[in-house]
Amino acid sequence: MSQTITIDPVTRLEGHGKVTIYLNDQGEVENANFHVTQVRGFEKFSEGRPFYEMPSLMARICGICPVSHLIASAKACEAIMSVRIPHTAAQLRRMLNLAQMVQSHALSFFYLSSPDLLLGLDSDPANRHIFGVAAAKPELGRAGVGLRRFGQHIIELLGNKRIHPGWVVPGGVTEPLAAAKRDEILGMIPEAYANIKLALGWYKQIADTFEPEIEVFANFASNYLGLINEDESVEFTDGALRLIDAKGEIVADGITANQFTELIGEAVESYSYTKFAYYKPLGYPAGSYRVGPLARLNIAKSMGTPLADEELGLFKQLANGPVQSSFYYHYARLIDILYGIEKIERILTDPLILDKHVRATAGVNRLEGAGQAEAPRGTLHHHYKVDENGLMTWANLVIATGQNNKAMNEGVLQASKHYIHDGKFSEGILNRVEAVVRTFDPCLSCSTHAFGQMPLELKLISAEGSVVDRVVRS
Amino acid sequence: MPQARCLILACGNSLREDDGVGPWLAAWAEDRFAAEPRARVIARQQWTPELAQDVAEADAVLFIDCSVDAKPGEIRVAPVGPNGSDASGVGTHHLGAAELLALSKELYGAMPSNSLLMTIGAGSLELREGFSEAVQSALPEACTRLETIVLGVLASPDRPIPH
Repeated sequence: MSQTITIDPVTRLEGHGKVTIYLNDQGEVENANFHVTQVRGFEKFSEGRPFYEMPSLMARICGICPVSHLIASAKACEAIMSVRIPHTAAQLRRMLNLAQMVQSHALSFFYLSSPDLLLGLDSDPANRHIFGVAAAKPELGRAGVGLRRFGQHIIELLGNKRIHPGWVVPGGVTEPLAAAKRDEILGMIPEAYANIKLALGWYKQIADTFEPEIEVFANFASNYLGLINEDESVEFTDGALRLIDAKGEIVADGITANQFTELIGEAVESYSYTKFAYYKPLGYPAGSYRVGPLARLNIAKSMGTPLADEELGLFKQLANGPVQSSFYYHYARLIDILYGIEKIERILTDPLILDKHVRATAGVNRLEGAGQAEAPRGTLHHHYKVDENGLMTWANLVIATGQNNKAMNEGVLQASKHYIHDGKFSEGILNRVEAVVRTFDPCLSCSTHAFGQMPLELKLISAEGSVVDRVVRS
Repeated sequence: MPQARCLILACGNSLREDDGVGPWLAAWAEDRFAAEPRARVIARQQWTPELAQDVAEADAVLFIDCSVDAKPGEIRVAPVGPNGSDASGVGTHHLGAAELLALSKELYGAMPSNSLLMTIGAGSLELREGFSEAVQSALPEACTRLETIVLGVLASPDRPIPH
């Protein structure tokens, strides 16, 4: 008789998800799905609101990466206003986005994944958490806490709030950087370097011991999408998108926020509230791609900062072409952090960083606008339409987790097929399936933003594993 | 950040009615001890692992939270010690006072010599600002007890806190 294995909830993620693994009569894996089971309604309830409220409204989607939503949203608003923001405002936003990336990556690596990496995927789940890390290797725990505090404190200094700062607005930021705050951030930089160097050194010591997992953790050919500068260095806040294929060849380049919708579609599957983004010219699912740290490093020719460039060189040596295994999201995340610290230090030495002119103003000059930025977990796109009074008539958000959705599902299937045979599995095996999802660091609350548009299939499964009822809402 | 002799660490969401009593008391303490550099106030919607460093650096900590186990408006103050032994269910976005103390001990090898947990029984946790009548009525006494505790710590940080 066929069986279904359900992992619900998948633990140590941002939000609530579920994995279902379907076994055939021989106990072999036939299929597996990663479900995002929560639903939200941000696109719908923004309708009718003044467009200039959108950044602060949209930031409420997420408590982990609100800054990326603030920035993508503000950029969409600026497209509606037809304004170019002052240089200093752009630099300050860039720093804010990098600070968020550092704290979010620190949470993902140290709090969510390091218990597996340090204690082992088969270790006692009762100890597989930050307390277990603190007991076994306190210096690693302190490094994680330190990097979280570093990013959070910069956000608090710039935006006056650690979460959901209202400082980023359409046209720039609400107030310039004070010299005292600049100096305080600069004073935190040495400790941040020490923490990330400790983490990178430790990761390199243990990475080889995970060779079996590297082989089957979403290790397959795919496309990659991410922001990049004109000099082909990595970019988080401006630049344009590049899509490369599994061999590293450029599929599309210079994709602006305005072109995004023309080129990127969103498919719907019955088992998840999160859509599945794909590159339209290749169709779905062939046009599916990955975003986030792994994609950014596969796409970029350089980081643009010396220490991160050294690490990028080592990263590129992992494969002849794009690095395919999602296990390496962990390494890429640490390189992102190193880059973020270097870049923040560099931004703070910009001679114009204390300039008082940090905001451009304008009304509605276009009825449609789009903005994009790199969130910690990948590319984020906001697209708005307004009426002549500037009231929102339509919004669409394409979130990193949706863009990684197909790869996460294929990764869960790959790992399940590798580990589960004859219907037998252990807690450690199920943890490996969860750990595949964790490598992507999905943010599920971000990813389910539309309401009333996507079908949902509900299955009622008996204790014996047979489906006894099925409800489809479309 | 200078080392705080007394850290007041509050938790709660001011948009969930009585859950906001912790941040309210934190704001009161911020005003009351504005001229006292040895008192430090932190209010968060949730206590997270990063706060372990602040806890480790303090001589004494007064945790403040609302409680669903106490009668509405009932104020309880009790010593709290480290306990990270049942951490399998803890999230990365929220920890309890005992877990924070355990984490500060594990990570930094340091803990406050005095730690108290003050809870105020919640009457309602609806999605709105303000407090239920019971919690509103309890605020003056909560402020008095908070003040007494902090002044006691500042006078003699190594002795048990009067509560």
